[in-house]
Amino acid sequence: MGLTVRPRFTAPTLTNGDKCVLKGWIDVTAGEAGNDGVRAIEAEAVPTRFARGWHCLGLSKTFKDGEPHTVNAFGQKLVIFQSGDGRLNVLDAYCRHMGADLSQGTIKGDEIACPFHDWRWGGDGRCKKIPYSRRVPLRARTSAWTTMDQDGMLFVWNDPEGNPPPPDVTIPRIEGATSDEWTDWVWKEIVVNTNCREVVDNVVDMAHFFYVHYSFPTYFKNIFEGPVATQIMKGMGRPDMRPPAKDGEPQMRGNTSIASYHGPSFMIDDLTYHYDNMDLHSVLINAHYPIDANSFVLHSGIIVRRSDQLPAGAAEVMAGKLGDFILRGFDQDVQIWKHKTRIDNPLLCEEDGPVYQLRRWYEQFYVDVADVRPEMVERFEFELDTTRPIEVWQQEVEANLARRAAESRTP
Amino acid sequence: MTIRTDNRLLDGAPMQALSCRQCGATVGVRKASWHQTSIQWDTESVNACLERRAAGPGGGPNGAAFTGCAALSDSIRQAVLDGAVTVPDAWTEDTDQ
Repeated sequence: MGLTVRPRFTAPTLTNGDKCVLKGWIDVTAGEAGNDGVRAIEAEAVPTRFARGWHCLGLSKTFKDGEPHTVNAFGQKLVIFQSGDGRLNVLDAYCRHMGADLSQGTIKGDEIACPFHDWRWGGDGRCKKIPYSRRVPLRARTSAWTTMDQDGMLFVWNDPEGNPPPPDVTIPRIEGATSDEWTDWVWKEIVVNTNCREVVDNVVDMAHFFYVHYSFPTYFKNIFEGPVATQIMKGMGRPDMRPPAKDGEPQMRGNTSIASYHGPSFMIDDLTYHYDNMDLHSVLINAHYPIDANSFVLHSGIIVRRSDQLPAGAAEVMAGKLGDFILRGFDQDVQIWKHKTRIDNPLLCEEDGPVYQLRRWYEQFYVDVADVRPEMVERFEFELDTTRPIEVWQQEVEANLARRAAESRTP
Repeated sequence: MTIRTDNRLLDGAPMQALSCRQCGATVGVRKASWHQTSIQWDTESVNACLERRAAGPGGGPNGAAFTGCAALSDSIRQAVLDGAVTVPDAWTEDTDQ
């Protein structure tokens, strides 16, 4: 399997006589590392194929400005264009005639016209017309993606086997997205330079929510079944990280989150913040699509439900604040991802989530449908024991508050 | 990619077979502590679960997910009390190493 075993080059693990001249990683076997009892980090090469499933490319209105758009995804360059009939179409960007970039072209009626020689391509991937030619040659067809425009978001179906999406593999509807009771999407996106497995891992990683995102989980459970991976999390506020509410402002007490990945890349988080005088209902999207094996685009979207305490205007302000808050959360993750190594054999303690079982679930999207094994899709539940984390984190929060109080007393 | 085994299954408590006292579905159960539970279902046990069959979809966009079976939780709790499912002793865990 081309297994690469990499020792960790931290100074104390080197034995006598080892030359410490290595920069970055080298490939050696565990035996060659010569450190008996040292756990080696193992990582296979990143997969060369891209996950089968629906991928969100962003808010659909972004692509409805009358212009073609370039999107780098699944190791290819794609063109997205809205045809005259209103549909959003996704094609391979390179014209099969002479290889020009269709996303630099022009939308003409229902077709995208190539900037090089005006060849016209339809949303089905077929060349419809060559204005300067009597006939379109045989095999004038490029790859076209199945698209779905739902709840204000554009999705494409990626399948390395080339099959259409099965009817039961869907993205659930989000009621608030089309309701006047809710705000519009506040949408952000960033490019992350690592393999997208890192972001999926987070769905089982309770402890990082405390250490990286400064939240305080108190309940944590995962459920994997079929193409859906769910995380149920309850949390409380971090008074050491969030200043207490000013007089008259509601104080946040905690949150309840039910987040599910529907397929390999699209997570819907049904997220409620509990304040002392109200519940704030929001739906958060955490979605990504791979640019290539070592980079991906990470999206966040949020809508907030209006209420008596949070009327129109105030709800929009809140959605904007939450959007910024989530973007900061992404940056916190990125700081970790930027510097970490890929690891296929994480060393887990009992208070960690089910990383191995999550990756077993995730593998179903990287093999042919015929090779999906029961263990990848069978229901698995994991409820984490938060007793010890809560105890230790309470102490840490109190210590932080005490230190801050002491510092403010001695200017 | 190779599917690997959780290091905690290799070095810690094993998965143990358990039948639900309500419907008889057999699942794999692992307890790392009183409050931690892993449950491995298969198609047969999922189809046998009465609560699951009775459960309507919950609210919200993720409402289709079945969050868990209370009868099975009770069966696991009872099995732990009866000693049929073992829970590692927290004291030895703490003093280990």
